[in-house]
Amino acid sequence: MAAPFTRVFRPFWRIITTTTSSRGVRNVSYTSQQWSAQNVKTAGAASPWALHGAVCVQRLPVVSQDRSPIEEEFMELMSKMEFERSLLADHELKLLDDAARMSRKQEEDYDSDEEEDYRDKEIVTAQDLEDIWEQKLKEFQPALRSQGNDQKEASSSERCLADSLILLVKKDVGSQKLWLLPQIQWQMGETLRQTAERALASLPGADLKATFLGNAPCGFYKYKYPKDIQKEGSVGAKVFFFKAVLSSHKHLPLENNSFAWVKKDELQDFLKPEYLKQVRRFIMAL
Amino acid sequence: MLSLKTSVPLRAEPKKKKKVDPRREIMMKERLKKKLKKLERVPPEMIPIEDFITSAKSFDDTRVREAPELSFEESERRALLLKEWSRYKRSQHQTEMLVIQEALEAQTQALEELKLESEELYKAAVSPDTDIFPFQHDGPCYTPPLTSYEAPEGKYNDITRVYTQ
Repeated sequence: MAAPFTRVFRPFWRIITTTTSSRGVRNVSYTSQQWSAQNVKTAGAASPWALHGAVCVQRLPVVSQDRSPIEEEFMELMSKMEFERSLLADHELKLLDDAARMSRKQEEDYDSDEEEDYRDKEIVTAQDLEDIWEQKLKEFQPALRSQGNDQKEASSSERCLADSLILLVKKDVGSQKLWLLPQIQWQMGETLRQTAERALASLPGADLKATFLGNAPCGFYKYKYPKDIQKEGSVGAKVFFFKAVLSSHKHLPLENNSFAWVKKDELQDFLKPEYLKQVRRFIMAL
Repeated sequence: MLSLKTSVPLRAEPKKKKKVDPRREIMMKERLKKKLKKLERVPPEMIPIEDFITSAKSFDDTRVREAPELSFEESERRALLLKEWSRYKRSQHQTEMLVIQEALEAQTQALEELKLESEELYKAAVSPDTDIFPFQHDGPCYTPPLTSYEAPEGKYNDITRVYTQ
């Protein structure tokens, strides 16, 4: 991308032979070639698009999803079929033995001397063991799977534990306040992934630790500035999205109105249609 | 001259061994060594894989469960449910494949756009990331984790068999 130069480009041999008078010209013509061929970093300045790096932080599901009706039916069928094809376990054999022994005890001509093995030991029947185990299970109180489905607090990261949630931020863009994925402008000398990491770190009040999945962006969105803001160099901006998985779960209070953790279905309530179209492509919520 | 002989006989010569004997001993030692080597050449016994051996408990006749008689409706219902399940799984797989394809397309387009922007950034994006592996994430459980829960300590006897060759 050579910038147009109005000076005449002197032929090579003349530049070498002439000395002081044309040194200024020679330097300029050489530097124009050098600049276009080698210095790629500043090539970005020549393109009209401003670069932004954005991060798509996902809080992966904490709890398994509920089964659909067909899945429930199939699960039941599978467990029944497995049970029918199985052999008796040790515990079941013990249950049968105990039952047989009880029935033998009930008979009139019961002779306890015939029971050689169990005379001296204390009998703990298999049924007793089962009751003990059930009692122990009841003592344990697990946490609730869904803590209220209509959690209006969109800013809490503990809502909808069965789905993966994405972080959205409310930001001033031009004159409007828009809901966006957290993004920040690219600075010279850093890769776009570092820009995305900076975007995550620069969120006010949030101490989120996330693992970025690779160096490559997962999606992009480009938009043009409205006519009054368009200057000579900038036509619009290109936003490159990077995927990250939330690793730390610190429940720091985030400002209610500027943060939201949303599911993929709820994205349409927050994002603009064009933006949403590009963002939906790389968010996989199955 | 009239006292008893009390000293040990000092002038008796020890019995001479025949020269064949040392050679015979050496031969015996060599034969033993050869036998040992032959025994050692036997390949070591293979360590049995416990998963591949059906335990004797499976062949026990006392453990056979009575197979229930299935009514015609029940067997029909089962067959239809299995077919329904295969259809459900197929549609699930198709949606998954489409979603993955969509995400892949979005990524390739993003990389193309980045290439148009700047070559260096594109190279940095395409270069492999060495820090991501080993990657660890705890998957979803049935109930969410309790914040203040202390698991009870328990004893256990490890009865795995350890084989040495």
